[in-house]
Amino acid sequence: MRPRVNLQEDVDLVGLPLEDERPVEVAPARVPATPGEWIRDNLFSSVFNGVLTVVTGALALYLGYQVLRWILVTAEWAVVKANLRIYMIGRFPLEEAWRVWASVFLVAVLGGLSFGVSGHRLRWTLRKAALRAALAALVVGALVFFLDGPRIWILTGSVPVLLAASLKAGRAGYERLRVPLWIGWGLAFPVVMVLLRGFGGVPPKLWGGFLLNVVVAVVAIFLSFPAGVLLAVGRRSSLRAVSSFCVGFIELIRGVPLVTLIIAGFNLLPLMLPSGMDLALIVRMMLIFTIFSAAYVAEIVRGGLQGIPFGQYEAARALGLSTTRILALVILPQALRSTIPAMISHFISLFKDTSLLAVLAITELLRAARRASAQLEFLGAKKEAVLAAAVLFWVVAFSMSRWSQRLERRLGVGER
Amino acid sequence: MTEGATGEPVEERPEADQMIVAEDVKKWFGKFQALKGITTSIRRGEVVVVIGPSGSGKSTFIRTINRLERHDSGRIVVDGIELTDDIRNIERIRSEIGMVFQSFNLFPHLSVLRNVTLAPRNVRRWPRRQAEEKARQLLERVGIPEQADKYPAQLSGGQQQRVAIARALAMEPRIMLFDEPTSALDPEMIKEVLDVMKQLAGSGMTMVVVTHEIGFAKEVADRILFFDEGLIVEEGTPDRFFTEPEHDRTRLFLSQIL
Ligand SMILES: Nc1ncnc2c1ncn2[C@@H]1O[C@H](COP(=O)(O)OP(=O)(O)OP(=O)(O)O)[C@@H](O)[C@H]1O
Ligand SMILES: [Mg+2]
Repeated sequence: MRPRVNLQEDVDLVGLPLEDERPVEVAPARVPATPGEWIRDNLFSSVFNGVLTVVTGALALYLGYQVLRWILVTAEWAVVKANLRIYMIGRFPLEEAWRVWASVFLVAVLGGLSFGVSGHRLRWTLRKAALRAALAALVVGALVFFLDGPRIWILTGSVPVLLAASLKAGRAGYERLRVPLWIGWGLAFPVVMVLLRGFGGVPPKLWGGFLLNVVVAVVAIFLSFPAGVLLAVGRRSSLRAVSSFCVGFIELIRGVPLVTLIIAGFNLLPLMLPSGMDLALIVRMMLIFTIFSAAYVAEIVRGGLQGIPFGQYEAARALGLSTTRILALVILPQALRSTIPAMISHFISLFKDTSLLAVLAITELLRAARRASAQLEFLGAKKEAVLAAAVLFWVVAFSMSRWSQRLERRLGVGER
Repeated sequence: MTEGATGEPVEERPEADQMIVAEDVKKWFGKFQALKGITTSIRRGEVVVVIGPSGSGKSTFIRTINRLERHDSGRIVVDGIELTDDIRNIERIRSEIGMVFQSFNLFPHLSVLRNVTLAPRNVRRWPRRQAEEKARQLLERVGIPEQADKYPAQLSGGQQQRVAIARALAMEPRIMLFDEPTSALDPEMIKEVLDVMKQLAGSGMTMVVVTHEIGFAKEVADRILFFDEGLIVEEGTPDRFFTEPEHDRTRLFLSQIL
């Protein structure tokens, strides 16, 4: 039985005289369970649950042991260590690698500032801090293991340092930073492109590895988002030509597997482009991914638009707002907010789908991994090589998913 | 008045003091005729209450006034501007007419203050400071100055409807349309909304109000329009209308609601 809390008694204990007020009954407080109680309540509440706990527990322990043993003892990580550059940047010339580093630093600073600004109210709990410390230790351990030489240690090490510093700066100056940050993010992409390509930089055909996955995904995400919104809006247009075009485009693209589009981009697109216009393969692939993604974004946005009650249009129209303003100020902000989970989930898929570029012999991350394991001296290390690529994908995808949750929570204010 | 501010001669019209003129307005939804020829005119500063049974075309009529519904034949002139398909005309007239809906239709993603300032800032192009100052005055006037930074979902129905009134007033309209503004409210909140409307009527606003609140109609209305089956069956001052109605249908209706 749980003890009842009685305010009268509590007050008496403190020794305060109480006038003849009625004792106030407070809702029974939850007594923090001891670890023993917790285990009993959650794991052994019945014979069946007890058996289940023992069996799954044993299984988990066994699997955990096997996995850890494989990671720490059996696996030959030398393949990853020797090919780290191919993994990350493909055939990007080493003497130009500073361009990539500069881009990474830029994004780290912007990202840190943004996190600081958006989370300036969040407090760190002990559990969160411990979790992060453990994660940091793991990352540092892995880096020290995989990276050779002080130069790369310093470069890699500066990323978290920059991130933390700008996070702190973001928290401190959050209100003033809001607008500059938007501008900063807006400029970030062109700046990175110039950094990589401009001033005697590296042509896209030499971009590779994880860099390529990220760049293609980022381009596709940022271009397909507005394109998809336009398609979804155009689909509802009262102009038949516009709505038919949008529906046709969406249905055509959604009906075709992405691999087919990639191959079409490789073979067909050059024939369709005006002669003399020679797009690099990578640029064509960015285009293909954008087109593919736009169709899905359009469908997601359509769902969001359908959820907006008709009264919202009427109220906005009655105020004299123009059709464009009604969309931009009243309808889309609500529709897009409700689509955040589906949208991020689509973008995560899109990001992982960039590994399909491997079919064109483009050295993106997955192909880099397979090439690495095809080297003579690492012939037996296919598992390790591919697993490392998977972990990289997972880290980014998981971060995106966490970010989506945070965004949802932050934008959830004042919702119906 | 024979000369405008610029010295140009201004056409002398019999309808010069009429805010809303409707002539033989008809409206079909597919095969169903919702308005069968509405003719009436509403003077500047007049408060007109529209009553009638469900489905009689009350909502349809007031929605044609700001062109939320397009009328199929007849003429509607609002403050000297005839309603046509010209979209610029329509947007201009809409910004001169405030409308309050049964279901409030506040913008849930915007704070109360932003709800009220949205149209002035984006249609009238007022600077933010001016729009917010005006909005705070209006929230004061409808009795909820302290709710400015809340979101609609955090307010009671009565408060939401008062925000909706403030939002419509922020455009400084010459006409206010109300379509059953209290029908979605709990009884204890009806009064607070009606009080705001009475005060508005007292300030000389031209108002067209569809409502079942007979008390409000008797106290505030200059004229009652009784709609039935898409026609104005009877109209008159509240005194006459409620005490000695002429038509059987009016009598039947009144006997049902009184
Ligand atoms: N968009 C529409 N499409 C088809 N029919 C409609 C539409 N809007 C209204 N109607 C019909 O027109 C008639 C008049 O409707 P209206 O909403 O004007 O009635 P009302 O007098 O406001 O009734 P209530 O008191 O129920 O609100 C009704 O029969 C209704 O079914
Ligand atoms: Mg109605």
